[in-house]
Order: sequence, then structure tokens, then C-alpha cells
Amino acid sequence: MPSTADLLPLPVAVPLAGAAVLVLAGRLLPRTATDILATAWAALETALLCLLWARAGDGRVVSWAGGWTIHDGHSVGIVLVGDRLGIGLALLVSVLVAAVLVYSWRYFEEPPAGHGGTFPALLLLFEAGMCGFALTGDLFDAFVFFELMGVVAYALTGYRIEDPRPLHGALTFGVVNSLAAYCSLLGIGLLYARTGELGMAQTGAALAGHRTDALVVTAFVLVMASMLVKSAAVPFHFWLPDAHAVAPTPVCMLMSGVMVELGVYGTLRIYLTVFAGPGGVPAAAFTHTLAVLGALTALTGAVMCWQQRHLKRLLAFSTIGHVGLWLLGLSLLRPQDTAGAALYITGHAGVKAALFGLTGVLLDRHGSVDEYGLFGRGRDSRAAGALFVAGGLALAGLPPFGTALGKAVAEHAAAERAGWLPALYVLVSALTGGAVLRAALRVFYGAGVVPEPSHSDVETSGDAEEPEVRDPQRPVPRTMTAVPALLLLGALAVGVWPGVGRALGSAARTFGDHAGYLADVQGTAAPALTTALPSTDWTLTGVLLGVLSTALAAVLAACAVWRPDRRFAAARGARTLAAWGDRRLVLPLRRLHSGLLGDYVTWLTVGLAALLIALAAQT
Amino acid sequence: MNRRARTAMFLAAAGVTGGFLVAAFTQLPPFGTKDHPYGTRAVAASLQHRTANAVSAVNFDQRALDTLGEEFILFGAVLGAVALLRRARDEDRAAPQPGGVLPSTRLFGACLLPVTVLVGAYVVAHGQLSPGGGFQGGVVLATALHLAYVAADYRVLRRVRPLAVFAALDAVGAGAYSLLGLAGLCASAAYLQNVLPLGTFNDLASGGLVPLLNAAVGVEVASGVIVLIAQFLDQAVDIASPHRPEGGPKAPDSTGEDGR
Repeated sequence: MPSTADLLPLPVAVPLAGAAVLVLAGRLLPRTATDILATAWAALETALLCLLWARAGDGRVVSWAGGWTIHDGHSVGIVLVGDRLGIGLALLVSVLVAAVLVYSWRYFEEPPAGHGGTFPALLLLFEAGMCGFALTGDLFDAFVFFELMGVVAYALTGYRIEDPRPLHGALTFGVVNSLAAYCSLLGIGLLYARTGELGMAQTGAALAGHRTDALVVTAFVLVMASMLVKSAAVPFHFWLPDAHAVAPTPVCMLMSGVMVELGVYGTLRIYLTVFAGPGGVPAAAFTHTLAVLGALTALTGAVMCWQQRHLKRLLAFSTIGHVGLWLLGLSLLRPQDTAGAALYITGHAGVKAALFGLTGVLLDRHGSVDEYGLFGRGRDSRAAGALFVAGGLALAGLPPFGTALGKAVAEHAAAERAGWLPALYVLVSALTGGAVLRAALRVFYGAGVVPEPSHSDVETSGDAEEPEVRDPQRPVPRTMTAVPALLLLGALAVGVWPGVGRALGSAARTFGDHAGYLADVQGTAAPALTTALPSTDWTLTGVLLGVLSTALAAVLAACAVWRPDRRFAAARGARTLAAWGDRRLVLPLRRLHSGLLGDYVTWLTVGLAALLIALAAQT
Repeated sequence: MNRRARTAMFLAAAGVTGGFLVAAFTQLPPFGTKDHPYGTRAVAASLQHRTANAVSAVNFDQRALDTLGEEFILFGAVLGAVALLRRARDEDRAAPQPGGVLPSTRLFGACLLPVTVLVGAYVVAHGQLSPGGGFQGGVVLATALHLAYVAADYRVLRRVRPLAVFAALDAVGAGAYSLLGLAGLCASAAYLQNVLPLGTFNDLASGGLVPLLNAAVGVEVASGVIVLIAQFLDQAVDIASPHRPEGGPKAPDSTGEDGR
């Protein structure tokens, strides 16, 4: 049996080889055999990552690809570094890819002869890119896997070629992400020019010999650009709802479930490893900037989520809202904040992928994802309806789902920094969960009055979508409801099984240890960790706040569906206020999401300039 | 957002970003000094592994994992193009009409094709010794085949280009790279470690794993580019779009003056 360090590159190599094998097998084998082969391959990857997770323990696995180990603090090779947060994220990727492969067994129409392996092969390439990004300890190598992830994601987004909209969404996605990736490459170039290193740890160590100047700040913002675009932080988020609205449902499950989260992970990993030491970016400046960005993202995502009637856009904006909460939490840089975000991300991956999967059921049966158009038409899909409601409740933070535990831990940690921060968590969870519950009540139960468009309804509604399958007569494949059910159970397990929280708590402590990472890569003795192990147990306040946000979500959904303001005169004032807010605040915000590529590129530039000014002012 | 507001915002933000970039560039180390921290280490490492072309040593030995990723970016791009440019349900195929070709063009193509194949194979095979390698040679090889299109016509190209074979070769080349890396693990060393006999410096059979990885990349790039171009040619020549009701598109003109 090879050593753990030797096994670390395999989560990249295995799916890559699998993609090549599937393209070949797709030419020879029937579709079922290709699908079984793809699923077996994804299972092998999951098993491999489970082994690595078990063997990594609380430390780091350092693996030098090609055997070019470090000498005197320098190496010409690439280092892969696996700690439990990175390996855990790769494990989450592999579990979701396996789930998506099973979900899409009979999802698409029969592919063209000889191309049966194309879709699963693209998924495996996507998986390899994401795993490589989670495990690498080298800036340029991270860029390579980031690009691999991107190229495949653009193709997957535009996969339904019968409709011009997916190509437009994929193009927007591709252009905005590529521009940001070029920024990052430029940033990596600047860092390399200063330090002569590409490894994250070596760069971080070499920066210590210089003072923080314009070069470091500019390089930091440029490198962060692609991470923030991928994680859809405001104002870099515009591509995400457009891409999610048009991508095939199985792809949405992966993009919202893990790809966006990898951007969040990359932001923190690169800051903590490269810039957290002397000569980098001061922690206070990073915290203030990222916290403001996170709060802005959370509010924008939540408000926009509530406004949507296109179900996929609704779920996409809910992801943006939650990304904001994670960025906000992680910006505080303490192990308990990281542990909360990690738990939240794990639980959210299951919930959000399940909700997208259930939306796929609607698209499959009715050829629409419009909340208004689908009013009451989901009544016969009882199981899907119940699961959708459960997903909405989990998103709103109902204990004991993993999302609720993550939210509780993050709230508890954030409250130590500023007492009002938990209110933001409750608000965002209530709005996003409430929007999902509202849609579930209308679509699956036909509750309340038939909705009518509001003043600010300027975005796409999601009716007249091409069904992603061709045969409307067939029953919905069982896998399409079984996989979301299993994913929701997984999200429940994250909250109920204390082992997950404990492991992620200790992983979060290792993740935040800048000096330990540098020492492990450079082969020197690591200083002992002095920070306390964060507590990830349920607390009474956490449970109460979770129940509060769930109740708020339910009230919001009920008010939207049953419209009490029409019956009671006392509610008229509230209605006038809501109409004013709709016109003055929401409409301009929705108009910004114009779908025009030029607007999005402008916002990308504005975001870069704002970050540069904010950080330069604080250093 | 109206056009003027957008332009003004963009210019203001681009001005700020540009200002920071200029400030950062002024703090770069001076140009033209003898201080090349990575270059010095990389050249020493490539000599140690008897690879005369230091660039290949970096690409296929020292940072072979990056190249693995880059090779699969190309593979994924080709696969994505195949998926996106597949024939949609509402598109029909139309047989392209042959066009006239000057005899001198035909002769030129017939003579140049074997020369180009030879040059491509040479560039791939000598990647460990001289500038070039799998990526560059692969593109030259793919170009060779398309001389058939320039010098004859599309039907001839289709005869000399069995797409199914090249699509399979694309996967074989890509898969071979990822599997060659396992040689290291089999020899109880690291993934992609250069464990093969290193040979004599500046010999064709030197550099250990480098020429093999180069060959795998060469096969992958050549077939990948052929498949990629085939998808676009199909769109332009072969597939009748439902939005172009005037029937099949024009046959390719061998002079290529219509921009194809």
C-alpha cells in the first residue's frame, strides 16, 4: 500500500483517467453500461477520498508531485497539501458528483450515437478540477485546476443547445470567469516576480522579507478576483443566476452545491497561506473588507431571492445569500468561525442540490420552472412536494439539519465580534427559506390566491423552458426523487451525527494555522497549536435562533401566499410601505441584473477598483 | 444601466485599477539582472535529469502535474465543443458541393502533406532536446491533415480523417498521460515521478519519462485539434441551419477566400 502522501495526487488522476475511459467506452458500450461505469468510477473516487480523510487525521498530508521535494526552502516542483478541510471538500465534491451521476442516469434524452460517454466524462473532468483545486498547495497549479473546472463548467452550462438561452448564459459565465482568471494570472505573476516562488507556502514565507506595498495589495486583489467571481460575491455575482437559470439541472446541483463554495474556500486558503504572515495583507484589513463584502452579498442575495419566480434563479440567489454569510463568517478568521462556515457549507450542499434536483422533476414533468405558471400543478407529485418543503425548512435553518448547526455555530462565533450579526444570519435564512417555502406552497399545494406579477417583475419568469427530457408521457424516474431524498438525509446527518461537527471543528483549527502550514511544507518543526478547539455542539441559543428563522420563513411564505393584507384594513399600511420599497429599492436592484455582458464586466472592474482602494486605505 | 453611465463607470474603475497596476509594476525587481531564482533551480534540475530542453523539463518533469491539468483542459474543451456543436434536432445535413481547385494548388498540397507530417513528428519526438514538444508538434500534425481541405475539398478531407478514430485517439492520448504518471507509484515513488532510465544527455532517448509524456500529449493535441476543427467545419459546411432556409450552405471554396 503506497503512503498517504503518495496517494494524495490520485483524487486528481483517477477522474481524469476515468473521463478518457468513458469517452472510449461511450463509443463501444450501450448507454446503461456507460452510466454504470461512470457511477462506479465516482464511487472509487469517493472511497479513495474517504481513505485519505481517515488517514489525514488532524494534521496535513504533504505530497510533492514528481518527487521534487523541497531543499533549503526551495523546490522546482508542485506541492499538494491535504488537510481535513481540503480533503473534506474534495470528498463533498465526489459524493455530490456520484449523486448527480445517479440522478442523471435517465435524465437526458438518448445522446447521439457514439457520444454516450460525453456528459459523464465532462462531469468527471469537472470533479478532477474541483478536487485538484481543493488539494493543491501551489498558486499556479490552483490556477490550472481552476481553469479546468471553468472550461468544463462553461460547456456543461450550455449543454442544451436546442435553446439559444443556455449558450448566452454559458457565454456570460465564460467571459466573466475568464476575465477574472486572467486577473489572477497577472496577480500570480506579480507575486512570482517578487518572491521567485509559485508554491503558496514558499510565497508566503518569502513575502515576509518585504513590506506591504502597492505590489502586494494589487497582487492580492488580482488573485482574489477569480475566487470572488467563482464564489459570486457582490458585485462579481451577476453571472451566477444567469448560468444557473439555463444550465441543466444536474449541473446546477454541482455548481451551487460545491463549485461556488470552492471559490469561498480558495479565498480563505490563499489569504491564510500566502498573505496572512508579515509582508502580506494585515488581518484587520482583510477582515473589514471581506466582512463588508460578505454582508452586502448576503443582503443582495436574500432580497433578490425573495423576488424571483423563476425557481432556478430563486435557488441561485439563495446560494448567493448564503455565500455572503460564509464570507462574513470566514472573514473573522478564528477557528470557530471557520468551523461554522464549514458545517454550514456541508449541510447546504445537500439541501441545495436536493432542491435543484426536485426543480428538475418539475421541469421534467411540466416543462416550466415558473412559480406562477406552475400554480397547483405539482399536486400529484406528493413525495417531491414534501421533500421540497423539507428542503425549504432546512434552508431556513430548522434544527437538526446541518445547515442549522452550521448557522448556530457561525452565529455564536459572530456574536462575539458584534452582537447584531446573528440578526443578519436569521434574516438571510428566513428570506431564502421563506422564498422556497412560498414556491412549494404554491406549486405543490396550490395554496392561496393565484399570484400576479409585481411592479418590479423585470426578470425572466421561467415559463416556456425547454423540458430537459423528451418524453413527457413516461413517469418521473425513481432516481430523480430518491437522490434528493438521500441528499436531504445527508444534510440531516451532518447536524445529528456529532462526529461530523467535531471533525470539522478540529479541521477548522488546522486550516487557520498559517505557521503550521508553512512549517509542514518546508519540512521544519511546526510550532504547537495554541488556539482552543472550537465547540461545534448544539446550544440552546442556536436551536432557538434556528427555530426563530424557520418560523419567520414560514410566516413570510404564508403572508405571500394568503395575502392577509387584502382582508384586514390594519395591514394596509404595511402594503403601502411594501409597494414603496418594491418601487424604490427593489426595482433598481433588479434592473442591475440586466443579463448584458457589458454591464457585468463593468461591475467586475468596479469591484476590483473598490477592493484596491479599500485595502490600500487600510495598509 | 444606460450606455453612458456604464462607460463612465467602467472608465473610472479601469483608471483606478490601471493606476494600481502601474504602481505595482514600478516595484517589480529590475529587468535584466542575473538574479533568476526559479530559472537557476529549474535548469540545474533539468540537467540532473539529463533533459537538454529545460522548458520541457519544467513542463513534463518538474511541473508535470500542471501539464496534466492543461492537457485535460484541452481535452475538456474538445469534448465540450463536441457536445455544444452536436447536430441539434432541428438541423439537417446537406451534402457539400465540390469546388474547383487549381492543379498547382493540388500539387502543392500533395507535396506539402508528407513534409508537414514529418515536421510535426520531429517536433514531438525532439521535445526533450530542442524547442518544441507535444503541444507544438501536435498542432503541426493537425495542420498537415487540413492541407487536404485547402488543396482538395471537404470530401477528401473526410476520407483522410476518420473522426471516430481521432476522437478515440484524443481520449487515448489524454488517458495515457494520466496513467503514465502511475509508473512512479508502481516504482514506489511519487505520482508522475521520472523513474525511467534517464539515458545520455542530448540523445533522442534521454530524459526518461519526458519523451513518453511528450508523445502522449502529441497524440492528444493532434487528434484533439482535428476533432475540434471538424466540429466547426461541420457547422460551417455540412449542417444546414433551420434559420437559413435557402438550402444547404455553399460548398467550401478551395481558395479559402470566404474566410474558412
